Amino acid sequence: MSYLITTEGLTIHFGGLAAVNEVDFQMNGGEIVGLIGPNGSGKTTFFNLLTGIYKPTRGEIQYQGERLIRLPAFKIAKKGIARTFQNNRLFLNLSVLDNVLIGMHPQQDSNWFDAIFRRRYVERELQKGVEKGLELLNHFSGELAENCYKRAADLPQADRRKVEICRALASKPKLLLLDEPSAGMSPKETEELMEDIRKVRGREKGIGMIVIEHDMIVIREVAERVVVLNYGRKIAEGTFEEVSQKEEVLEAYLGREEKDVTA
Amino acid sequence: MRVVLLIAVEIAFFMLFVAFMLANQMGMIVAFLLFFILLGIFLKKWEKVNRGLLGLFKERRVLSTPLFIFLLLTLPFFFKTSPYLIHICVMAGLYAILALGLNFQLGSTNVVNFATAASYGIGAYTSALLAVHFHISFWFGILISGFTASLFGLLLGIPCMKTKDYYLSLVTIAFGLIVYILLINFSWTGGPNGIPNIPPPLFASHSFRDNLNLFGVHLPFQSNYFYLVFILVGGALFVAHRLHHSRVGLTWNAIREDEIAARCQGIDVTRYKILAFCIDAFFGGVAGTVYAHYIGFISPENFAFIVSVVVVTMVILGGMDNVFGVIIGAILLTIIPEKFRAFEDFRLLIYGAIVVAMLMVRPQGLFPQKLRVYTKS
Repeated sequence: MSYLITTEGLTIHFGGLAAVNEVDFQMNGGEIVGLIGPNGSGKTTFFNLLTGIYKPTRGEIQYQGERLIRLPAFKIAKKGIARTFQNNRLFLNLSVLDNVLIGMHPQQDSNWFDAIFRRRYVERELQKGVEKGLELLNHFSGELAENCYKRAADLPQADRRKVEICRALASKPKLLLLDEPSAGMSPKETEELMEDIRKVRGREKGIGMIVIEHDMIVIREVAERVVVLNYGRKIAEGTFEEVSQKEEVLEAYLGREEKDVTA
Repeated sequence: MRVVLLIAVEIAFFMLFVAFMLANQMGMIVAFLLFFILLGIFLKKWEKVNRGLLGLFKERRVLSTPLFIFLLLTLPFFFKTSPYLIHICVMAGLYAILALGLNFQLGSTNVVNFATAASYGIGAYTSALLAVHFHISFWFGILISGFTASLFGLLLGIPCMKTKDYYLSLVTIAFGLIVYILLINFSWTGGPNGIPNIPPPLFASHSFRDNLNLFGVHLPFQSNYFYLVFILVGGALFVAHRLHHSRVGLTWNAIREDEIAARCQGIDVTRYKILAFCIDAFFGGVAGTVYAHYIGFISPENFAFIVSVVVVTMVILGGMDNVFGVIIGAILLTIIPEKFRAFEDFRLLIYGAIVVAMLMVRPQGLFPQKLRVYTKS
């Protein structure tokens, strides 16, 4: 059985702090994994390691049988790992459609020479990109597709998240990393988000997703398997029900229960 | 009816410009400037008029653009008794090319490069040396110096990629200074004395230093360069426009907006930044060549740090990443200081004040970048 992605003893130190410490992780294509843990437990750092933003101090990352460490971030992205960001990092001064078009960067290949001298080629590529981008936006929200020439900065939070997911999907990834997609959303918007995550799965067959979440409802509804981090270490793994019974997990979230305090 | 309006408006604007250029009393110049500013504010406030006019220009593009080009081409005829005005126009064109080049970096990619003067100088010296020592014609020289400047752009780009933001700007400033100091200290570049007697271009046995006879009208020799620069600006505009509306332009914008996010979309940030360096330097090299052969004499002083600052100011004033705006910025900042020659000593002060004022009041420039709209074809 070959995994989509595995990590072995993945560790990164920031000064004296091990932000991610000896994490072994594996997942298959088509799976949705929830990544949870208290604030500062190393979830986002784990994403940054997978996408090559940080270089690990120790450990291995294998993606479809290939070593990823030492590859620059843009090459990893080209291999099919896409992500969204915690505080969503859209290209704010560009239009919604342009944001999605930039997501298609790895699939397109026109260069400066084509741009100046081979206009027809460039136009055709652009036309195709626009059609694909509109179709993608339409899949998640007809309204967004209609407002595709709006500046990304003028969108409400929930729509920005959608655009970010579309931008990530535009590169046809095999692994999608969602960093706290429900942050700052109302319950209704969160509901919609879960619907969107299911839509991603229906659309892109075999895509693997890792979702960082603080909203346990989202984790319960969406994730098939949950991994819990605390102080950079993996402390539990299993289905949501299994994990939520575990003592270490409860401790990590709620603190240790002092016995016989009054005695 | 609308066509008549269009032609009338365009000719009226053009005549205003000509009158402004010909004005030689301080009071008149100030009056013209105030009028232009008021006109700008008026157009901004009465959006209906503004939109209507712009819409009309766009709708009748087939008419308005050729008419505009034709009017510009007639400029030397209006200025035939005052060659100095044509000289100003030539310089405005050269600065427009420099600013268009810098715009790829400063406007599109947010790489604040202060080495424009270096590529301008490298271009000028390359073709001047080739022409003086090896008698290589201007037309080859312009290409060779463009590519030489590009090569130096590449050389500058590589160390710059190790740095970011302000530090990158410092590296470019250092590069500009190094080129400047080398030009002074090398003996084969003529040292501080520069290179005199650079031959003018020849076009079908017509020397560019001879007067130009067009339709029986004798035009001063500067007109040759006016038409040459006109064509070059057109070419630069064409290239800049095409690059902007392509995958490359979009990628540059992504890097400007958020470098980390751009890397996570599979963008090779280093490569695209270096590409911007090379194209910018090419434009600089071309402009430098024309300058060298036009003036006939170059010295390191022509390519000092201050030139880079002026070009950066032009891009900031005109509008980041707006091809049209950048050209307007270049033209304004060449013509207005020339019209206020009397206050020559305060020139730098004025540039500084413009940058501070723009960044405070309208950081996006006079003509901000427009969102791209893709029309079905």
